[in-house]
Amino acid sequence: MIEINDVCVRYRLAKEKPKTLQEYLIDRLKGKRHDYEDFWALRDLNIGVRKDETFGIVGRNGAGKSTLLKVIAGVLRPTSGRVSVHGKIAPLIELGAGFDPELTGAENIYLNASILGLSRSEIKERFPSIVDFSELNEFIYSPLKSYSSGMVARLGFSIATEVDPDILIIDEILSVGDKQFVTKCNERMRLFREKGTTMLLVSHNLVEIAEICSTVLWMDHGGAKMCGEPKTVIDEYVKSLT
Amino acid sequence: MSASTSEIFEILRYKELLRNLVTRDIKVRYKRSVLGFFWVMLNPLLMMLVMSMVFSSLFKVTTPNYTSYLLSGIIFWNFFSQSTSTSVVSLISNSGLIKKIYIPKAIFPLSVVLSAVVNFFFSLVPLFFIIYMTGTPLGSHVYLLPVILVLVAVFSFGIALILSTLTVFFHDTIYIYDVLLMIWMYMTPIFYPESIIPQKFSFIIHLNPFYYYLSIFRGALYLDVSSVFEKLLYGFLFSLASLTVGWFCYSANKDKIVYHL
Repeated sequence: MIEINDVCVRYRLAKEKPKTLQEYLIDRLKGKRHDYEDFWALRDLNIGVRKDETFGIVGRNGAGKSTLLKVIAGVLRPTSGRVSVHGKIAPLIELGAGFDPELTGAENIYLNASILGLSRSEIKERFPSIVDFSELNEFIYSPLKSYSSGMVARLGFSIATEVDPDILIIDEILSVGDKQFVTKCNERMRLFREKGTTMLLVSHNLVEIAEICSTVLWMDHGGAKMCGEPKTVIDEYVKSLT
Repeated sequence: MSASTSEIFEILRYKELLRNLVTRDIKVRYKRSVLGFFWVMLNPLLMMLVMSMVFSSLFKVTTPNYTSYLLSGIIFWNFFSQSTSTSVVSLISNSGLIKKIYIPKAIFPLSVVLSAVVNFFFSLVPLFFIIYMTGTPLGSHVYLLPVILVLVAVFSFGIALILSTLTVFFHDTIYIYDVLLMIWMYMTPIFYPESIIPQKFSFIIHLNPFYYYLSIFRGALYLDVSSVFEKLLYGFLFSLASLTVGWFCYSANKDKIVYHL
């Protein structure tokens, strides 16, 4: 489903970055070269994720977890290496992105679902169940700016999961909404697993990762430190932290 | 080449997103105002009112149907300046999305230009109203209206691609373009007649792509413009050049954009 071969991602951090066009032109005229500092967010990463796997990613901050997700989502083109992904991807977007506060909840459903690549008729078809799952029934025609952050998160989760993706990318969520909604989300995630949806999960909640993932990848300094059975990997990871 | 053609197909695949972006733009722009969407029509009328009070004594004698001349210039220029100056920030203001989800990024400047097209259609209402009220006779080239609209939209999209890509790497583009746009406006015969330009400076006007578009637009509406088809050819060439350069500029940098947002 997801195949990552020898992928490297390099961020160029300019030591003295020319901030403006004028500075850039002046530096160019002076023949000044810019010193770059290379930061390899991913180095020679090889992983394969099968269909119906729930793939957890752990690692310390800056280990390259989010970069990996971006590469898989097609947002970042790797500096070198090959990435092949089969299937429709739906990332759970963090709060705010992709929503317009001035538009109503209903209008935002259309906007957000079309960002995920759905056609108009597909959105129409799914509209009732999105509203239903988000429990926003009487608020759905109010502007989003009047929503609480929990309501926005509920709407976001409902859209991303109702899109019926082949691959669901979840970057640190499920801490939103009240307890009852979290239970509902977990229930839906279980359904996805049973249906054979591939899930990629980044979380610092190791208990949750151990519980729901079938494979766990431990990332360190842009590489794969260990990959395999959740309990073993997480035990080793915890050991390294202490 | 194959990569940039596939991007075009990608944009077509995301046409529902394009539609939603355009409607969002139009809905949000005037949502908090009492008169709402009427501002699209009211704004050029008020501008025309002010400018005609200021300039009419100067140019009225030399320019027949000065009100129509002025208003057609204003709304046509507004279309161009609105679509390009809004698109300058179209990539950086959507960075939250671009960094999270794969979307063909050119869709953002494109949606800005298309929503300006929609606004332009609405501002044609007061224009035809004024043309009718002042008794300006319609010209014989009205059929050129859709042609010139396509040409100027393509031209704007090319500029929008260049500007939005450039802004990702140099934020100064925003402010530089503001100034350029103002200079450009004064160099285009929007509120003054072409005839007041001294002969020795007329080459400047012939280098200005917008001069051709505006002449054809006025020619399509009411004015008898000399050598319309020659101007049409120039307009077409400028549009083609702008789109080619814009698309090249965008395609060459589109994979780097995410790193700089």
